[in-house]
Amino acid sequence: MHWAELLAELTLMPLVAFIVGLFMVLMMRKIGARLQRRIGPPLLQPLYDIVKLFGKHTQTSHGLLHEFGIVMAVGGYVAAETLLPVPGMNGIAEKGGMITLLYLTMIPSLGLALGVGQCANPNGSIGISRALTAMLAYDIPFVIVIAGVAMHFGTTNLVDVVAQQQAGGIETWGATQMPLLALAGLFALQGMLGKQPFEIYVAPAEIATGPMVEMGGKFLGGLFVMQCFQLYTASVLYVTLFLGGGENWVSFLAKSFAVLVLPISVAFLFPRYRTEDVLTMLWKWPVILGLLGLVFVGS
Amino acid sequence: MQQFPVKVEQPSANKPTGGNIFSRVFDELTTFCRSRSLFILHYCTGCGAIELPPAMTSRFDMERLGISPMVSPRQADILLITGYVSVKTLKRVILTYEQMGSPKYVIGICSCTVNGGMYWQSYATAKKLNDYMPVDLYIAGCMPRPEAVIAGLRQLMDKIAAGEANGWQDYYRRYDYYLGHQQRLFGETWQTPTDVIAESKHYDLFGGDTLGAHTALLQQHQKPLEALEMRLGLTDRQEKGS
Amino acid sequence: MIGALDMLLLAALAAIPLSALFATTRSGRWLLVAAYAVQFGLLIMLQPATAAHSALSFQLLGNAVGWQMDALGWYFAVITIGSAGFAAAYAAGEWSEVNGRLGLSLRWLYAGLQINVLAMLLLLASGDFVSLFIGWELTSWAGLILMLLAGGDAIRASLRYIVYAIAGGMTVFAGLVITQAAVGSLQFDALHAAAPSLGTGRLWAIALLFILGFSVKMASMPFHLWQAPAYAYSPAPGSSFLGSISARMGLFGIALVAIKLIGLAQLDRLSLVTDLVDLRGLLTWVAVFTAILPTFVAMRQNDARLLLGWHGVGQGGYMLLGVIIADRLGSAGGLLHVFNHATYQAILLMAVFAVIHRTGTADLNRLGGLVTRMPLTFLAMLIGIIGLAGLPPMNGFVSKWMIYRALIVDGHPLLFVATVISTLGTVLSVYKLLHNTFLGQLRLEHEQIHEAPWSMTVPMLLLCVVVFVTGAAPGLVLQYVAAAQQAIGLEPVRYILGGIESPTGSLDMLWITAILFAGFGIGAVLFYLIGGRSRRVHQLDNYAGGHFLTADVRYQYSDNFYAGLMHRIRPWYRGSFEWTESALVSALGAASTLARGFFEQANPAQWVLVGTTVIMTWVMWYALG
Ligand code: SF4
Repeated sequence: MHWAELLAELTLMPLVAFIVGLFMVLMMRKIGARLQRRIGPPLLQPLYDIVKLFGKHTQTSHGLLHEFGIVMAVGGYVAAETLLPVPGMNGIAEKGGMITLLYLTMIPSLGLALGVGQCANPNGSIGISRALTAMLAYDIPFVIVIAGVAMHFGTTNLVDVVAQQQAGGIETWGATQMPLLALAGLFALQGMLGKQPFEIYVAPAEIATGPMVEMGGKFLGGLFVMQCFQLYTASVLYVTLFLGGGENWVSFLAKSFAVLVLPISVAFLFPRYRTEDVLTMLWKWPVILGLLGLVFVGS
Repeated sequence: MQQFPVKVEQPSANKPTGGNIFSRVFDELTTFCRSRSLFILHYCTGCGAIELPPAMTSRFDMERLGISPMVSPRQADILLITGYVSVKTLKRVILTYEQMGSPKYVIGICSCTVNGGMYWQSYATAKKLNDYMPVDLYIAGCMPRPEAVIAGLRQLMDKIAAGEANGWQDYYRRYDYYLGHQQRLFGETWQTPTDVIAESKHYDLFGGDTLGAHTALLQQHQKPLEALEMRLGLTDRQEKGS
Repeated sequence: MIGALDMLLLAALAAIPLSALFATTRSGRWLLVAAYAVQFGLLIMLQPATAAHSALSFQLLGNAVGWQMDALGWYFAVITIGSAGFAAAYAAGEWSEVNGRLGLSLRWLYAGLQINVLAMLLLLASGDFVSLFIGWELTSWAGLILMLLAGGDAIRASLRYIVYAIAGGMTVFAGLVITQAAVGSLQFDALHAAAPSLGTGRLWAIALLFILGFSVKMASMPFHLWQAPAYAYSPAPGSSFLGSISARMGLFGIALVAIKLIGLAQLDRLSLVTDLVDLRGLLTWVAVFTAILPTFVAMRQNDARLLLGWHGVGQGGYMLLGVIIADRLGSAGGLLHVFNHATYQAILLMAVFAVIHRTGTADLNRLGGLVTRMPLTFLAMLIGIIGLAGLPPMNGFVSKWMIYRALIVDGHPLLFVATVISTLGTVLSVYKLLHNTFLGQLRLEHEQIHEAPWSMTVPMLLLCVVVFVTGAAPGLVLQYVAAAQQAIGLEPVRYILGGIESPTGSLDMLWITAILFAGFGIGAVLFYLIGGRSRRVHQLDNYAGGHFLTADVRYQYSDNFYAGLMHRIRPWYRGSFEWTESALVSALGAASTLARGFFEQANPAQWVLVGTTVIMTWVMWYALG
């Protein structure tokens, strides 16, 4: 590939991810509002929030690491997006693959954890401890899903996974071939988004939004940006693994937004579990589903 | 609903009016976004807090105005004081206010914040909130209905968009004045773990009235509050031989 | 005729008295570091591709005993001498002065380190079973010198170690006796040649005895109980040396005897009841449990050294797993992980000991906020934990990725999931280590402390460079791994400078690293250029629900860091984990039903000895009958 083309892809992919992510945040807030019979925020509200936060006059920092944590959180996702193929752009997806992506998306979380750590606020530390616990909870079903998908398609290369599904049409989609794994993946997705009922680490009424407690101004703004990336990454990964990726931008975006509707609706209809119960929940049903799915993939 | 006049210096004097068009556009954009995205921290002191849930939920839906509740002072733009403020609470309110990032706005809901209301004779309540911190907007009433709250918030949004909600600058420029009132109420040893004077210097908000007799009193007993900077200390060998 | 290998061994031997002589002065210690550099240089001059022979040889009971070093031994030897050199440099300056004044015998420390290196070199260069056994015993006893030095808790741990070590040594000896009986020779080639024609009974006996003996050193389940305390309480250089490489000698043994000499084809003949379970299958699960359970034990530790010690045990499981899978990618991953683990584990232990050096404690509930006071040590530990947790872009990720890939491609999804569980546990555990030491609130009594002296930080940071560079360009190490694979008769991995090239999913760390740092760059530009100037505030200017924080009140979350998780899994520690332990003890030991009672009541160390004696009796009976 020509280097200029590659460079263009590498810049465009995170940019697209951010913009799509903004609308996903909007969709999330709109769905919440509709379920609660409200009107909800205006179209550009996510953008207003971010601009306002970056434009705050006072930016309270607890030290270099606090700042660098946000840089890592945003930068890690900017990097991760180039590993996620979208219609017409593969970026460097062939150099990584799904396992690499899985671990690369831990880098932003690690950055956040470092930043929060330097805030010296126990609410934040408790938040991180719970966030890591939640990660242990949802990643176990998720790696089962990853293992199943990789075995089914015989590759860990996401570009190949998409190509195989698109070549065969809808009956070769991951979701049609591996419905159990797709269901387990949906569970894991719910955990990954960190929304209710698995919202243990934000818990505003209990630990004062946990990791975000000392984040103001552009620090919080960075986390809002990170949230856009997070929503985008989770849904696009799901679309790539199970829903045939994107043939073109229209179907790609339609699928990506559609994937999120269910978890978000669930999130606004349920209260929050306790940490122990999150673990029980995520280690029980999706794991059982996933293991059954593995058996079918293996046989 | 009454707007309480706050003594503010000319805002244009300190506004970073960048000569080039980009920074002006950027400033305009930020001002606009500030008015359209407000995170409120409701310090639910008195009875008035009960009017906020209806203002937030289905009936009046604050989120359609871009206003949403937040939890910690660092994240918030508006400090909502929703009723009478006892002396003990006021200390926390002041700390919370000082920890918020500017630009920050204070709204006093309920008559009690205006003049003590029906607690006027109480020994334990602070009467006028704007003695202790600059208040951008009062929403009077015992208690004001959600419609009034929403209308007040809208008015604040307009003020912000017009660049007039600059009460927060007053706190830094005339810190001595506010500190004096605080010391009158809490005693001479009053001190918060925040460092307002250093902050006003850092952000060019230092004015002629920032320091005065009261801050001199504060600085006599203030414990040092400099940030813990990273220290390499490679050249420092004093520990050697210990 | 004295060859290159003899030069190396002689240099290592000569350095022992020199160590005892020079260890007490600062310049003398730097001279000893130079001695390690000389040994390293001599090692590099050996041709790793062709086996280098030693001139030294003698006859024992009709067997020619000699030494030679092939690419596998060379690879391990590089790590050994490297770790020792870095450990020696770390302690050369202020550390030794302070600890020497506190009563630590520096002569024994440095001599012990050098003796260990020599013993390991002898083991790694063994040319037949007799020299293997000599090297094995020397290594076991040499380790004891370093463990005993600290006194106190270390004595108990070392005693426990020595019981295990004797048991392991006896088991290896038993394997040797059976080999002699079955093959009639103690040459490596003889076993290799005879293995296809051996009956399964004899092959079982040989394979099992050697693997058991080596597993004790590796501390794989169920022999994992001794290692963490024994390594953790050793003085700093000893701990970092032992923690990085010592236990891997067991892996070397397994790779040599099981993979190279017996061979995969023969190993696969060894199956239990109707081919359902075979030895390799059993070993992979042993490896996986070794990767998981110690990790979750580590998570509960409050002493930073023990935490790392338990992770050392756990990471051994990955290496064993990779080597036992023994396909092109997996075995390369396992062997590569030996190098990677040695580098980041050394960094982590050095960082922890630097903290101890300054604060006097490794108790994770008595530290916190040190990042502002010891930033370089923090940086080192950060890079170390990214490596240990196996996240990109550090080198730990590459080796683990290779093992994951091998598991998925080979169709072991459950093993893959199990290894990822272990990795996730590691992430949790290492964040606790970093957070409780360096993040959170700085304690009042630590406000005045300083960064560790440069003699301690520079070795750490140099190792950080190694961890980073070999993470971004794993091909640098993979070339030697590939040679080692060839030396034990496996297909060599197909590598590129940035990682692995494969039609079913490749990895190019050069790209990943570049893109990650580009991402950080964009993040930094967004953060620092857009948006207002930030202002640093004091740690007490903090949200506490309106409460006024003061320096005398702790505002820090450290104890029982994963409270919610522990609430769910604590019963498992007592229930399932120990059940698994005792079940493994019973399966691999002898009497299965009594085992649990023994395990709970008696000292497991004694129990291992009893088990070994039983095995020995059986061996003698077998060999003589
Ligand atoms: S004004 Fe009335 S309702 Fe509001 S706090 Fe005072 S007494 Fe309560």
